[in-house]
Order: sequence, then C-alpha cells, then structure tokens
Amino acid sequence: MKRSLMIVAALVAGSMMFANGAKESASPAPQPVEEKQMTHEELVAAAQKEGTLTIYTHSSRTAKAASGFEAKYGIKVSVSQLKDTEMIDKVSKEAIADVDGADLVFCQDGSRIYPELFSTGYVINYIPDEFKDQIPAQYSSPLVWEMMTKLFIYNNEKAGNPLTNVWQLTEPEFKGRLQFKDPFSEAVNMNFFAMVTRDDWADKLAKAYKDYYGKDIVLTTKNAGYEWIKGLYKNGAVLGKSDTTLAENVGAKGQDAQLIALITSNKLRTAAAKNLALAIAEGCEPFIGFQYPAYMFLTKNAKSPNAAKLYAEYAMTAEGWKVFDTLGDYSPVASIAKNSEDGKSIADWENVVVTEDSQWCAEARADVEEFISGLY
Amino acid sequence: MQRVLYRVRRFFSKPYNVILVAMCVVLAYLTLLPMLSMIRDTVTVHVAETMRLKKPVGSFTWEHWRKVLFDASSLSIFYRPLWNSLVTSLGSCLFALAFGGFFAWLVTRTNMRWKRSLSALFIFPYIMPSWTIALAWYNVFKNTVVGGVPGFFTAVTGLETPNWFAYGAFPIALVTGIHYSPFAYIMIGGILRNMDANLEEAAMMLHASQGRIMRKITIPMVLPAILSTFLLVFSSAMSSFAVPQFLGLPVRYQVLTTQLFRTLNGLNPGQGYCIAMVMILLGVAILAFNQRLTGVRKNYTTITGKSSNISLINLRGLRTPLSVIVLVAVVAVSVLPLVSFAFESILLVPGDYSLHNLTLQFWIGTAEQNSIANSEPGLLRNSSLWFALWNSIRLSVVCSLSAGILGFLAGYAIVRGRGTRLATVVDNLAFFPYLMPSMAFGAIYLSMFSTRNGIIPSLYGTFFLLVLIGTVKYMPFASRSGINAMMQLSTQIEEAGEIIGIGWFKRMRRLVIPIQKASFLSGFLLPFISCMRELSLFVLLVTPNNRVLTTLLFYYNEKGWSQYSNGINLLIVLIVLLINWAVNKATGASIDKGIGG
Repeated sequence: MKRSLMIVAALVAGSMMFANGAKESASPAPQPVEEKQMTHEELVAAAQKEGTLTIYTHSSRTAKAASGFEAKYGIKVSVSQLKDTEMIDKVSKEAIADVDGADLVFCQDGSRIYPELFSTGYVINYIPDEFKDQIPAQYSSPLVWEMMTKLFIYNNEKAGNPLTNVWQLTEPEFKGRLQFKDPFSEAVNMNFFAMVTRDDWADKLAKAYKDYYGKDIVLTTKNAGYEWIKGLYKNGAVLGKSDTTLAENVGAKGQDAQLIALITSNKLRTAAAKNLALAIAEGCEPFIGFQYPAYMFLTKNAKSPNAAKLYAEYAMTAEGWKVFDTLGDYSPVASIAKNSEDGKSIADWENVVVTEDSQWCAEARADVEEFISGLY
Repeated sequence: MQRVLYRVRRFFSKPYNVILVAMCVVLAYLTLLPMLSMIRDTVTVHVAETMRLKKPVGSFTWEHWRKVLFDASSLSIFYRPLWNSLVTSLGSCLFALAFGGFFAWLVTRTNMRWKRSLSALFIFPYIMPSWTIALAWYNVFKNTVVGGVPGFFTAVTGLETPNWFAYGAFPIALVTGIHYSPFAYIMIGGILRNMDANLEEAAMMLHASQGRIMRKITIPMVLPAILSTFLLVFSSAMSSFAVPQFLGLPVRYQVLTTQLFRTLNGLNPGQGYCIAMVMILLGVAILAFNQRLTGVRKNYTTITGKSSNISLINLRGLRTPLSVIVLVAVVAVSVLPLVSFAFESILLVPGDYSLHNLTLQFWIGTAEQNSIANSEPGLLRNSSLWFALWNSIRLSVVCSLSAGILGFLAGYAIVRGRGTRLATVVDNLAFFPYLMPSMAFGAIYLSMFSTRNGIIPSLYGTFFLLVLIGTVKYMPFASRSGINAMMQLSTQIEEAGEIIGIGWFKRMRRLVIPIQKASFLSGFLLPFISCMRELSLFVLLVTPNNRVLTTLLFYYNEKGWSQYSNGINLLIVLIVLLINWAVNKATGASIDKGIGG
C-alpha cells in the first residue's frame, strides 16, 4: 500500500514537471502579415482575438512598457530579454522553422541584424501609417526605433575634463586609464570601431591627429581609424564586462588616477545615488562617443501579427516611449524626439558623436574584428 | 541461418546486451550526429561570413581552418589561447587532485577531527557556479588596474595586489581548481570508501610501513579513479568559460573558450566550430590515453561482499593542528564566498562596507523603491525569480533522474559487456558529450532540433529539449560513477543470484542497486547540482516559458546589478544544500559521501 502510494505520488510529481512541456503544438495556423492597413479600431479588435504577444528585446525596460500595453488593451505580453547573438540565432531559427516564437523584436547590433535578419526577410520592417511622415528618411529602412549614446565619461571628483582630443588616449599620460566593454561581447562597441575606419571618420581622425601633434599621421595600418584603435589597445585599454561596473570603476571616489570610460550615458542618472563622480568629456575632438540604433521589427513567423502591429504603434507614441524617455535614449519620431531629461535629440548628437550606420558596419566589421583580435 | 538466429537470440538474452544496443543507437543519434554537423560547420560558409568570404551561404570552404591554423593571425586566434588553456587546465587539475585527493584521504583513512562537518562544507565550491567564485576573487583581490573602490584585501591591508595574482593564469587555474576540488574529493573519496580494506590490512599485518602501503596498495588501487577524475576535471577546466572570461579580461588573457565565445558570437562562427573541434579532439586524446592506462592496469575488484572495516591511521600529535589547518582552508573556500554573496546582496552601493550602507531593499523592496537598479522588484517579490526557480528545480530533477538511471544502466552494461567492441563503443559514446564544449553543444542542438527532423518534430522551445540536452550532457557523470562502482563489484555476487534463478530486474533491485546505492545516488546528485548551476548549455535553448535561474543570474550580473546576482547565487547554493540534506535524511546518501557511504 505504502509503496503504491509512493509510486502515485512520484507519477503526479513527474507529470507536474512536464506540465507545460507540450504547449507548443497548440499554436494556431500561421497567418500572413496583411498588406492593407486596418483602422486603429480594426487593429485593436484583430489583435485582441490573437493569443499572447511575444516580444524579444535587448532592453530591460521593454517589460515595463509592455505592462502599460497589457493594461491598455488587455492583451497578454510575454517579454524576453536576449543578448545580441541569441537574438539573431533564435529569430532566424524560429523564422526558418516557422514556430510560435517572437512576434515583435527590438534589437541592436545593426551590422549583423541587417544582413542576417533584415536582408534575409526573417524580420519585416513596419512603420505604422500615422508615423510615416514623422521619421527621418535615413532612419526609416530599417526603422530605427531608438538611438542610444555611449560617451567618454571621466571621473570629475578631483579634476576637470582631461580630454580635448581622442588622440590623447594613445599617449603615455593616459596609459591604462581608458576602460570599455569588450567589443567581442558588446557588438555595438565593435560597430563603433568599424565606424571610425570608414573614410569620412578616418579623415576626421587624421585631421584631429594633425591638430594635436602639428604633423601628418604616419600610417602603419590601412587608415587613421585603424591607427587610433591600435593606439588605444597598445596603450593598455582595460576591458570590462558591463557598463554599470565600468561606471563604478571609473566613478568611485577617492581614487588617485583619473579614469575614463566609454560607456552608455544613462549611467549618469544613478551616479548621485551611487555616490559616483562622473561627467561627460564635452568638447573632445573629433567625437565624444557614439550613438547606435535599436530596431523594431515584426517577424516573418509572427503568430500574433496584429498584436505586434498594435504594439509597434504603441511603442512609438509618447505613452509607449515614456519609460525610455531618459538620458541616453532618443526617439527618431518627430513628436517625441526631444529627450525630456537632457533636451537633446538624435540630430543634436549627430554633430558630436559617431553615428552607427548598419550597412557600413556589415561590410567592414569582419575586417575590424580580425584586426582587433590581433591586438589581444 | 539457424545458427545466426540462435546467436542473435543468445546475444539478446543477456540484458546488458539489450541495454548496450539500445544505448548505442540513441547515443549515436544524440552525440555523433551533432558532432558530424559540427564538422560540416567547420567547412561551410555561414550567414555571418558571407560578407567577408564573398560566397553564398552553405557553400564549401577551407577558409576557417586556414585562418585558425595557418594564417599570420593564427597565433593570436588560436595558438596562444590553446597554450593558455593547457596551462590553466593543467594547473587547476593538479590543484583539484591534490587538494580534493588529500582531503579524501584524510576523511576516509585518518582520524581527523570534525569529519562530518568538514566533508559537508567541502562540497560547497562545487555547488556554486564557478564564475561566482571568480567574482569573489575579483572583489577581494582586484587592484587599481580596473579602478573603482579598492578590493577588500587592499582596503584592509593597504597592499596593492600584483597583476599576475589578481588576473590571468594564476587566479583562473586556482579558482577553477577550487571549484573542482570537491569533485575530485567525491570521486576519490568514493573509491577509497568502497575499497576492500583487506589488502591494506594484510599489508599492515606484514608490518609494511604506512608510506609503503600508500605507494604499493592504496594509490595503485585508486589510480583508475584518479585518472578518471583527472580526465573529467581537465576536460571541465578546459571547457569552462566564465572564469577565464571574468579573470582574464582585464589583462586580455585569452583561452580557447573565450576565443570560442568571441568567434561564435561574432562574425566568424566557422572559426568557432574549428576551435570547438580542436577542443573535442584534445578531449578524445586524453580519453584514449586514459583508456590505455586503465586498460593496461586492468580493474581491481574491490567489493567482494567480504568485510571492509578500515582501521584509521592515527594522526597522533598532528591530529589537532592538521584538523585546524584543514578547517581554515575549507572555511576559506566554502564559507567565505557565501558570506560575501550574502553581504554583497545587502549593500546599497557596492564596495562601501559601512553600516549605514546596508539595506534589504534588493530582497524585499518594491519596484518603486528600487529605482537605483532600473526599478527591478526585490528578489523575494520578483515573479520572474520564482518562475525561474521552479523551472530550474524541475529541470534539474528530471535531468538528474534520467541521466542517473541511464548512466547507471550504461555503467552496468559496459562493465558486464567489458571487452566487447559494443561495450567500448557505448562507453565512448556515453562519455563523448562531456568533451563537447557546452556552448557549442547548445548551438548545435539549437540547429538540429529547431526544425522537424524525420520523425522527430521541432523541439525548440519545449521543456523536453532542455531535458534532452541536460540528460545527454550529464550522463557521463552518472555513467563514469556507474562504471567505477561496477568495476569494483565482483560478478560473483550477481552470478550467485543468477545461479539460483533470480530474474534480472530482481537481481538489479535486490543485489546490485542496494550494494551500489550510494554511488547510484551520487549518479543522480552530480547531474542535479551541475544542472542547477549550468548556464552556457541552456542559454541558447531557453525560451520565455522555460527560463532558468542561472540565465536570470547571468542577466543581472551582465547588467552589473551585483546585489541581485549575489542574492540569486546565495539562493542556488542554499537550495542545492537543502535538497542534498533532504536526500540525505531520506536515504542516508549525500553528495559529499559520493560513491560510498
């Protein structure tokens, strides 16, 4: 008796363990993404008939924005945060297998998204009608959903801005003082390095070299962009794992050496609460950092395409943007372009930072990766 | 014809042959096929590489191999990381064997004090994900190279740690060694416990000296286990990723896995697969070496059903000092990291150890109170934590049960069918997943099972796929411990049962399993804890419906929210300890008793 009870208990426990293993087979038949635009009301009605909306995102804040969407439309949203490579692997595998995976994706790393997801048709560019005239042309295909900035940020506890020219970072005085996240685990950093090797930026770097040293640069590599990257690495740049940690490394008070990090500028928001001394290296020539896009796409295999469209619409309104409207995040949508914390917009940043261009990065990145790999 | 049929029937009348054939088919599918697909990946163009290689996706190319082995950049892409991998793996392996093996000897063969508590404490580092020990090392010993608040050591002593001590080869080898010492202890300790003491006693009666007994009897007898342990630890150390990633990065110290990660995550997956292949080949070479050695030595039947009362060596005057030294060492590697996890999880600002900086908000705070960490609710209020916790536990339980049962059966069948070609094939197949770097294994399962494949439907996104890969990956633990244990079990016992006509199931249930109970259970427990702290194996296969605790932990850590990651870390260790304790209460076996008890 006792034994059979135990067996029953074990079986029950076992079936509980497998409880939501077989969910997947119940997915509805694939529906093609419809061509004609519905009215907002029709879209809402169609979306509400679909099941859960699944979103893959690079950002931790999407979940919070999604709960606003859930409350507003009564559509359940499941948000997963993925790293860049996982995103590409999963989205492409799901599209090939046509499984019930993501319906909508927010992703960064243009140099891989562009050839691997966008050109292959695994994801679909979608701009809701009412926003079509609000997006600058260069950010509409693929649609840039937001731009984020990473800037040279220094410790301002004991001294002011040490940087006037990026070539200083290759000087003995700055040896071991620059930190950034390993570009091999942070793709957008790699894209930034790819960008500085493009002719226009290489020329600007060559000019900045001349301004700083009073003589023309002598090249040992392809151009001044590569030369600068080499200079940074040879000068003992310290690689880190997360921008948050780097902000703490650089901003901690009571340090003798004045460190500099190339990190996302939203770390300035919590600096005071964390007792960190951090400031932007304004005025550094020819750039003070870079800005990089995050894209928003529908997926080819979306099982809730209407809910995805509805969310896309929501994400571009002031309401959906609200949790992102902070220092370091900028929307290309004209009506919400101006950030409410620093009053800046993408256009303002274009003048002082390097802006990631996914097509160029897609072309150049393999070379740059190989080049940097040789510097380790 | 008749003869053939008769032979076939005779062949399958032996239960172990049935097991061997079934295992051979299933394992070939689950391990050889991934391997073949990986070989193909080393010579084809992937989507990410089309831009550079100017060839269509899927076309044939030798370019990856050329780049890895014969290019000007091969030194930095491959050869230097290879050398670094060998050095650190060997270092950690030797440390683990020396530390774990010595401890095993102290516990099983001497009258050291506080054995029970020490033995329980000793396994802690194995339960923690290895990179969290690296994190603890980093927090304590970091120097001004990375900046920030000074490391704990520097803060207390005012001394600046040298670079070689804080980052790079030395701490990587040491931390990995600490992590695998319990593993060595479990393996070696199990054998020492199970060993027939008659041989040692006989020697003692003949007045052989302690050293001589050690040299001539104890060590030769545990040598197969030591070699197995060496093999397992070396392969594990070689494929460990997070520790070198963490401690090597500040000084750009690269090993094969960090290189693998960079290539798989970058634009050169083909090169990544080449590196993974080399790692597998290295593993196979070690395996072959191990088999030659153990093959030559034959096995020692150490469980004969005869008495095994071991008289303990009296440490005499050394007893207390030695016990204290061991206690200090064990506390330093086992308890201090836990204390640091707990402490770090309640610091408002990391690195500020003053009293007013302590807070419980990362445990019990609401989303609104935690604006400092992007409004993440405190751990105990965090629904994603509870969800991931439940997933982790059920995944680990299911994986360990299936890996444990299959591994034990494999061990039984392999030992019984010893010497036949089939047994050797199954032995190698069952062990093979161990040599596959987790990250590459996960990537291959993702591509193998994301589409329908013959009769096998797309498994991607299902819980079953996680169970499958976990079972296959951890079966080597169970099959190794099964083989080790079964090698020591004389066939006489089972034959005795056979002669009086007891059926196979009853023989297993009444004879083999009871005798091998402890090793059988350790065959469950090792996969269980490995599964609880596994990250890279699952990371590509996890979907929102089956997120696990370590993916959450890694996420918080990546975000730099150290309080949350430290908190989860503490939770993982506590849960495993709790389960170990429960299993211990229920059955009398536990991880630290390992293969013995």
